[in-house]
Amino acid sequence: METSENKRSVIVGIFVFLGIVLFVAGIFTLAGQQKRFVKSIELNAIFDNVAGLKVGNNVWFSGVKIGTVKKIDFYGTSQVKIKMNVEQEAQKYIHKNATAQISSEGFIGNRIIVIEGGNINLPVVESGDRLHVKKALSTDAMLEDLQANNRNLIEITGNLKVISGKMANGEGAIGALLTDSLMAGNLKNTMAGLNSASQNINRTAVSLSAFSNKLNTKGGLVDELLTDTGVFSQLEGSVGNIRKLSVAAASLSEDLSTAGQKLNDKNNAIGVLLNDQESAASLKKTLTNLETSSQKLDENLEALQHNFLLRGFFRKKAKEEEKMK
Amino acid sequence: MKKSGKYIISKKIDGVFTTLYDVYRFLLRFFKEVLFPPYEFKELVKQCYDIGYKSLPLITLTGFITGLVFTKQSRPSLAEFGAASWLPSLVSIAIIRALAPLVTALIAAGKVGSQIGAELGSMKVTEQIDAMEVSGTNPFKFLVVTRMIATTFMIPILAIYTGVVALAGSFINVTQNEQTSFSSFVESSLQNISFLDLFSSVIKATLFGFTIGAVGCYQGYNSSKGTEGVGKAANSAVVVSMFLIFIEEILVVQVVNAIR
Amino acid sequence: MEKPIAPVDMSEHPISIKGLRKSFGDLHVLRDIDLELYKGENLVVLGRSGTGKSVLIKIVSGLLKQDAGTVNVLGQEVDKLTTKELQQLRLKIGFSFQNSALYDSMTVKENLEFPLVRNAPHVTRKEIDHAIEEVLEGVGLSQALNQMPSELSGGQRKRIGIARTLIMRPEIMLYDEPTAGLDPITCIDINNLINEVQERYNTSSIIITHDLTCAKSTGDRIMMLLDGRFEKTGTFEEVFNTEDERIQTFYNYNFTS
Repeated sequence: METSENKRSVIVGIFVFLGIVLFVAGIFTLAGQQKRFVKSIELNAIFDNVAGLKVGNNVWFSGVKIGTVKKIDFYGTSQVKIKMNVEQEAQKYIHKNATAQISSEGFIGNRIIVIEGGNINLPVVESGDRLHVKKALSTDAMLEDLQANNRNLIEITGNLKVISGKMANGEGAIGALLTDSLMAGNLKNTMAGLNSASQNINRTAVSLSAFSNKLNTKGGLVDELLTDTGVFSQLEGSVGNIRKLSVAAASLSEDLSTAGQKLNDKNNAIGVLLNDQESAASLKKTLTNLETSSQKLDENLEALQHNFLLRGFFRKKAKEEEKMK
Repeated sequence: MKKSGKYIISKKIDGVFTTLYDVYRFLLRFFKEVLFPPYEFKELVKQCYDIGYKSLPLITLTGFITGLVFTKQSRPSLAEFGAASWLPSLVSIAIIRALAPLVTALIAAGKVGSQIGAELGSMKVTEQIDAMEVSGTNPFKFLVVTRMIATTFMIPILAIYTGVVALAGSFINVTQNEQTSFSSFVESSLQNISFLDLFSSVIKATLFGFTIGAVGCYQGYNSSKGTEGVGKAANSAVVVSMFLIFIEEILVVQVVNAIR
Repeated sequence: MEKPIAPVDMSEHPISIKGLRKSFGDLHVLRDIDLELYKGENLVVLGRSGTGKSVLIKIVSGLLKQDAGTVNVLGQEVDKLTTKELQQLRLKIGFSFQNSALYDSMTVKENLEFPLVRNAPHVTRKEIDHAIEEVLEGVGLSQALNQMPSELSGGQRKRIGIARTLIMRPEIMLYDEPTAGLDPITCIDINNLINEVQERYNTSSIIITHDLTCAKSTGDRIMMLLDGRFEKTGTFEEVFNTEDERIQTFYNYNFTS
């Protein structure tokens, strides 16, 4: 009887002891996590709006938790003064012009204060310092922007849907064009021709500008050559032609893109025009013409390359390119 | 006693107030007896053993299941937000703030409360309490005070075990589904817990323990004669203490939220 | 079986009750009770169930308080004692309860040592064991030492209950329905035990019963309780040699049923 009583006392003792140990362990884990027993400094910041920040919320620096909000008080007429405890360890990274900002852990997470370290040339903060405040990017504003984007997207996809629907049904000129494989081939060729022409224009223009740079170097062979005014005027004329050509090509492609935009608009004159087969046929012709003209443009450029004056320059350029390889 | 105007209001309502007065006297007597010697340490240890240690398996098993199931059931609604990583935090708030003390108290009310009610009730009915009194032992001190102290101190300790085991249950479920490591579980589960939560929970459990002990002892000690009285005492010990536990839960939550 | 004559000292009154009244609500259980217990005698209080016999000895032991009248036990007025004085007085009174009132959660041994350990803190383990052995032998149940009360029969429980009071060496014994719920043969055993206790421990006893056999075999003196009053006092023959119809009914009912 005595021994069983003793045994009971021991078991009760162990039971209670373990319970208290678990409780104390809980307290210490919690304290460790909340940095209750870590040396800390106190920083202040005054916000216009803390967006639901609460005592105990975290303070982050570069995404690392360095402290917690200690106290929230009203300040002045409608501002809010936040006192936060920040680990002493983090003090050396926070400089005098550091900023504090209200943010949140996730899109719908807890509110936090994010500190940015400030200018590293300035001394570090001391306990009791007041941090500058950076206005937060509020979720509401973000959502508003997002909403505007959404509306635009809906409009664009709506337009696209109408266009593609019409194209599939073979409605209008473009539809007719696209269903006719020959026509499509033509269009493709035209586009390719235009493309190569404009590339050529580009190249020629670059070459010309390089050439004209060389012209300015005194005493060169070319320099001497250019003192002859007759040659110079001829050259000037060539350059002018090239410029005209390039402008024409640019306006042509611009026109094409406008035409594409307007194709969908039924009220538009072109739209109406393009709705019958006749005008589709005429468009076909136009495109053929366009192809021819772009071919001609190419030829012109080719001719320009063979111009006696510039031949030497082009050859030299080709050699240089060969060397580079 | 006068025949006319025998009851101040009516028999029933008068009865309620008489009971209230009896309860008040009962509690007053407890506080008087608990302060003055002799102290029944041996009996107290025995009661702590019976009420605390012997309830441990049942209560911790319940706690474990509670933690596990609660986690499992909460997952879908959080996963809908893609916030399943918040499970530990959510579950630990629920467990530490509410479930641990409440589940412990409810199970203890069922197990310990009924046991106390039935034991004291049968002791009363079979005159064991009178026998104790005439053999020079204060039965109130020996039976009631020891049991009430034992429940008051054992329920919070059981609640601590329940909380730990419930969190363990929750961890097992979380680690199976989200592959969360132990340290990260601890980290995130304690993230939103404050000292106030911890202490208010223990205080709540203490209050629940006192309630279970007081109700069980009152019902048993004042049970009517006959075997029916024993059953009634055991039954009302459970029902009344569970009811009071919920009332107290509401009140304590109000107070804690006022402090928070 | 006839009761042996006990050495009764009529000049000493361990218990003396005057003008005792007790009622529960509208129920007047005891009205104007006078009682003198002589030293060394077995006084039987006879009466039907529910007539307040048990209330009487509960008032004597201080478990209940009377409404009016004085109860003097061993020279002290019970209702005027402090808790501590009452506790001291109770150690000199043995109370055998109707249902034995053994502590269910304790073994027989623990039951027996309970009053001793708690009231005499300085007795040694050896003395306790010796006292237990002695009282168990006295009630003839030495083998039951380590049994639980639930394992015992009604008669055995009654004996252990009596043994538990005897361990404190009381001056006064109060028996509440000692033979209730027992078979006739066990009843005889218990009656004999009551007489043995009286002899061996020189106790003055009040025996509450409605069992005439018990009253006849244990009582030196019998008091008939009817309607909250003692109607008749005397030996068994004196009490029942009467024209009072109520007493006749009681007698006939007991021996014919």
